[in-house]
Amino acid sequence: MTFLENYVFYVGAFGLVLIGLFTILVKRNLIKAIIGLAILDTGVNLFLISVGYLARGTAPIYTRAEQGAQPMVDPVPQALVLTAIVIGVAVLALALALAIRLYRHYGTLDLRKITEQRW
Amino acid sequence: MVNPVLLIVVPLGFAFLIPILSLLSKKAAKYIPPIPLCFNIVVSLLLLPRALENPVVVSIGGWQPAFSINLVAGPVGILLSAVVAFVGLLVSIYAVDYIREGATDRYHMLFLLLLTGATGVVLTGDIFNLFVFFEILCISSYALVAYAGDKAGIESAVKYLIQGAVGSSLLLIGIGLLYGLFGTLNMADIAKALQSPSSLPVFVPMALIISGLGVEAAIFPLNGWLPDAHSSAPSPVSAILSGIAIEVGLYAIARVVFTIFGLSIDSTSNFLMFLAVLGILTLLVGEMCALGQNNIKRMLAYSSIGQMGLILFALAMASSYAVVGGLFQLVSHTLAKALLFLTVGYMTYRTHSLDVSALAGIGKRMPITSLAFTIGAFSLIGLPPFAGFPSKLLIVRAALATKECLFFVLIGGALLGTVIEAAYFFRIVQVLYFKDGNTNIARKQVPAVALIPIVIFVILIVGIGIYPKFITGLLSSAAAELLNRVDYIRNVLG
Amino acid sequence: MKPQLILLIAFGGAFLTYIFGKISSKLRDGAAVAISLALVAIFACLYGRPLQESFYWGFLGLNLSLRLDALSWFFAIAIVSLGALSIIFSLRYMRDRERTDFYYSMMLMVNAAMLGIVLSNDLISFYIFWEMMSWCTFLLISYNQHRALDAGMKYIIMSMIGSVAMLAGILSLYVSFDTLLIPQIASSLATASPGYVLFVLVIFGIAFGIKNAIMPLHTWLPDSYAEAPSPFTAVLSGMLTRMGVYGLLLITYVIGGMIGGTGLGSNVSKFNYVLAWLGALTIVVPTFIAMLQNDAKQLLAWHGIGQGGYMVLGIGFGVATANSLALAGGIFHTLNHAIYIVLLFMSVAAVQYRTGGVRDLNSLGGLVARMPVAFVGALLGISGLIGLPLTNGFVSKWMIYKALIIEGHPFLAFAALIGTWGTILSVYKFLHNMYLGQLPEKYKHLEKSPFSMQLPIAVLSSAVVLFGILPGIPLRVINKICTWLGFSSLDVTIWGFTSETGTLNTINLLAAIVVVSAVVWVLFHRAAKSVVVAQDDNYAAGAYVPRDKYHYTAGFYEPLFTMLRPYLRDVVDEFYTALAGAVRKSCGAVRRIYTGDVGNYVTYIILFLASLILVQLRWRPW
Repeated sequence: MTFLENYVFYVGAFGLVLIGLFTILVKRNLIKAIIGLAILDTGVNLFLISVGYLARGTAPIYTRAEQGAQPMVDPVPQALVLTAIVIGVAVLALALALAIRLYRHYGTLDLRKITEQRW
Repeated sequence: MVNPVLLIVVPLGFAFLIPILSLLSKKAAKYIPPIPLCFNIVVSLLLLPRALENPVVVSIGGWQPAFSINLVAGPVGILLSAVVAFVGLLVSIYAVDYIREGATDRYHMLFLLLLTGATGVVLTGDIFNLFVFFEILCISSYALVAYAGDKAGIESAVKYLIQGAVGSSLLLIGIGLLYGLFGTLNMADIAKALQSPSSLPVFVPMALIISGLGVEAAIFPLNGWLPDAHSSAPSPVSAILSGIAIEVGLYAIARVVFTIFGLSIDSTSNFLMFLAVLGILTLLVGEMCALGQNNIKRMLAYSSIGQMGLILFALAMASSYAVVGGLFQLVSHTLAKALLFLTVGYMTYRTHSLDVSALAGIGKRMPITSLAFTIGAFSLIGLPPFAGFPSKLLIVRAALATKECLFFVLIGGALLGTVIEAAYFFRIVQVLYFKDGNTNIARKQVPAVALIPIVIFVILIVGIGIYPKFITGLLSSAAAELLNRVDYIRNVLG
Repeated sequence: MKPQLILLIAFGGAFLTYIFGKISSKLRDGAAVAISLALVAIFACLYGRPLQESFYWGFLGLNLSLRLDALSWFFAIAIVSLGALSIIFSLRYMRDRERTDFYYSMMLMVNAAMLGIVLSNDLISFYIFWEMMSWCTFLLISYNQHRALDAGMKYIIMSMIGSVAMLAGILSLYVSFDTLLIPQIASSLATASPGYVLFVLVIFGIAFGIKNAIMPLHTWLPDSYAEAPSPFTAVLSGMLTRMGVYGLLLITYVIGGMIGGTGLGSNVSKFNYVLAWLGALTIVVPTFIAMLQNDAKQLLAWHGIGQGGYMVLGIGFGVATANSLALAGGIFHTLNHAIYIVLLFMSVAAVQYRTGGVRDLNSLGGLVARMPVAFVGALLGISGLIGLPLTNGFVSKWMIYKALIIEGHPFLAFAALIGTWGTILSVYKFLHNMYLGQLPEKYKHLEKSPFSMQLPIAVLSSAVVLFGILPGIPLRVINKICTWLGFSSLDVTIWGFTSETGTLNTINLLAAIVVVSAVVWVLFHRAAKSVVVAQDDNYAAGAYVPRDKYHYTAGFYEPLFTMLRPYLRDVVDEFYTALAGAVRKSCGAVRRIYTGDVGNYVTYIILFLASLILVQLRWRPW
């Protein structure tokens, strides 16, 4: 049980990453693949957060540092995740926009049929 | 006192200026990109003397290096940022005429963003910052690939995006693991703390980072997007992607491998050998795929894969000669491949076809362009007296100097790749000059604006080929910086 | 005069010619001729004046330097003279063609690159000029379009294989000895291990063997010779291909201390024996293949390969047994062959020019009446090729035979002799089918060749005879080369030379031949009872044959054809073609990696990562 307690966030994060990758690998539909990307992103973000997570830590705000002896969580990963989320959103938005255009060209979103560019 | 931050801030500022400016005048947008890029060249040159003495380290926000985001403008960084700005400048001049349709202001904005990202990657000293700049580079290149909005472009952009996003996720996981291990994101700080790269906790992030960056750097099994994206994008974009984007990816790999993980030829780890094998594999696969291609841009794209393989091989040998050769090859490939894509851009524009056979007789219709193409192709093959020759020579020499059987075999593979490369490039040269083709194409030169960059590229390729000393001094200090981990740590952390 | 200045004139001339061409074609022609003649004059003045100079330090810290010694002078003078003659020949030949600016500047560029090759004193400038020569040649071979494209591809691919091998060899020498200056390498290599020496020999042997078209590496040559523009074929066959010989001589110099030795040097001997045997093979097979050709240029091209065999045989054998007679014969044969093969290609080109590009031996004939100068050129050319006494080919072949016999290698000598017999058969066909026999109706009104074609033919014809009667002129220079290479000196006189087993004296030969022919002439003139019969009178036992329907020249040697053809397939070429096909097929297969399905691509990424980690987990190799 201690393993799960200590690593539950990591397990969850990598679970999400694997689900995301699996979706991208297996799903034919572009929209589903994009959903896979979103899950992958989320997994990565969760992972980053859990790197800095401290059980029972408080928010890392310096002005309040003297108030309690409670440990603070690492603020850096949270900053990273904010950036990563923004990037992820940008990628997803672009992906969806491209998906619309792709559908107009091919009339399908089946990635296995969209193989004009090959060899 | 010039600050390296300007190299990133100015193009970024101009990039966002473009959409605002285009509200006033639709036509103004295309004249914007050359300004910040000229500025970048000047700044790089001003920084160069100082950077050659000692890398210029700038901490943003006034924090101490280990805690703040910092830029390290050493010889490599300045060299590459100058190359990025220079090639970017020439391509943006070319694009003034070439990009006519669509939302041109957005094209120019994305173009500047891409170059900002590339400059950021080569200058940054912070691994998360590296990721961010990488994403700027990647996202703008996804959008640029799709710029034309045609079937091929959209399809390639989607595929590129999916692979690129998976790659960046892997990169980010790797960075997260490193942070978890060492509690810092500063590359020098991580390097200082990291002892042996082969212990498993360190190896896993390294594998993740190399796979993540490898997608962008077009290393063999990770480069499925490249032939599609480079061949479907508008030609100036292909030139930048082939000439800048993948090289920057490769630089990032070299930086991570040499500086952070401290792999070197003396270390017991033979991961570098694996990378060398991978490089030759990439080279052979790229060249073999290019051989049978009938789509000229796709052929050039595969040839880029091949060249990346050669550079990776050279860098992975990690001796100072080899790295000089690798960086030299990087520069000469950038010049040659950008030149090829630019010339092919107007050729295919005239013939309305990407087919090699459609280029028949172009040599008579567009003599200067064809000559430029020929020179670029000869340089890529590595024929004297063009820029590709001294770089290939350095690489072969470095491989033979290792006195190891493996490297002899590998360089044999590389030379075989050269022969294949010669086969398909010479075929195109024949098609250009010695095949009678469509006589309906008017005998018309490329517009003068587009001709300027082409001619400058040609002059540079011939100039560097005849007088390589022009850049070897800078390259050898760049190679020394890339290989010398201890100095890097000391310079950054003081 | 500094050697770099000469190269500057040569390369600068090539560029100037192109620029002048944009102004006026007359100016361009004049410039091309002037530059090529100026080079001839320069080298003529430089006779016997050795030069050596470093010209450029900027190339990656390598010391590039140039030299002029006996060997390079010998080749340089041949290059510039033949180059000038073929430029003069081109004046009319190329007049109405397209892209002549390109043609002339490339011709000058090829000559300049060849000069660079023979003048280089270090291997890296050697390589640079070598490669420039290769790609210029490629462009010139492809000039004629259509079939020439395939010929050009074949040439450049084989040439690239040779040059990457050479690059590896050169850089390996550089890494081993930290110098690329040829004299320094020569002194360093003396202490190298025998295995390494063998490696150097083999790798350079491949590079030069491809250029010189030694037997299993010869396949680029026939098509390239046949399809290139004829004046360039002359340059290609005369000197460019023989850069391979120059290369072999250079290796000979580099391994100078080990020649003919045992022990440490025995690898050198073995290698050169192999080379000599390959040379013998190269003499025999292509000569008989030449007999089967119906295309005048193909026929000459196969002879070009065969004659290259003599050079390789002479040099290889000379080095293997430290015999300066054979070596000198090989070198001399290079010059002689250059003279007569250029002459022959020019006479073919003269015919092509008048007949509108016809070079099919079955459709020509009787042109002696129309083009006497070209005929004389062809006649003297084939005499030289066969090696008739009093022509230049005789002397060099005689030297090689003699050396082979003295050293006791009857089989090699036999191969060389067989080659000569085959040559006689096939060049007779060449001469007969082109110039003798019946003149086809459509060529009845051909004009004779223009002066600019007659002049080079006349010059070369007289050179064939001159060097046949006075071989001492070139042999003096060759003797210097031999001593420079570390061989014993020959006793050369202006009429020939003496060696321990006998003397060659062409003046005696001349006298003998004059006397004998006088006797024969007198006998026949006095004793003849013959009647003059029109050539087509005696055919078909009096049956009527329409005068213009019958053609003597078709199907020459047909019975011999049917007998020999099965044995004379170019198996090597077929093998290479199959190999190229296989490579192309496998390249096509590799392309299938890029399936176009993005799922596959992501799988590659994941698998790559997974296998990296798995391998490290399981075996910990990194």
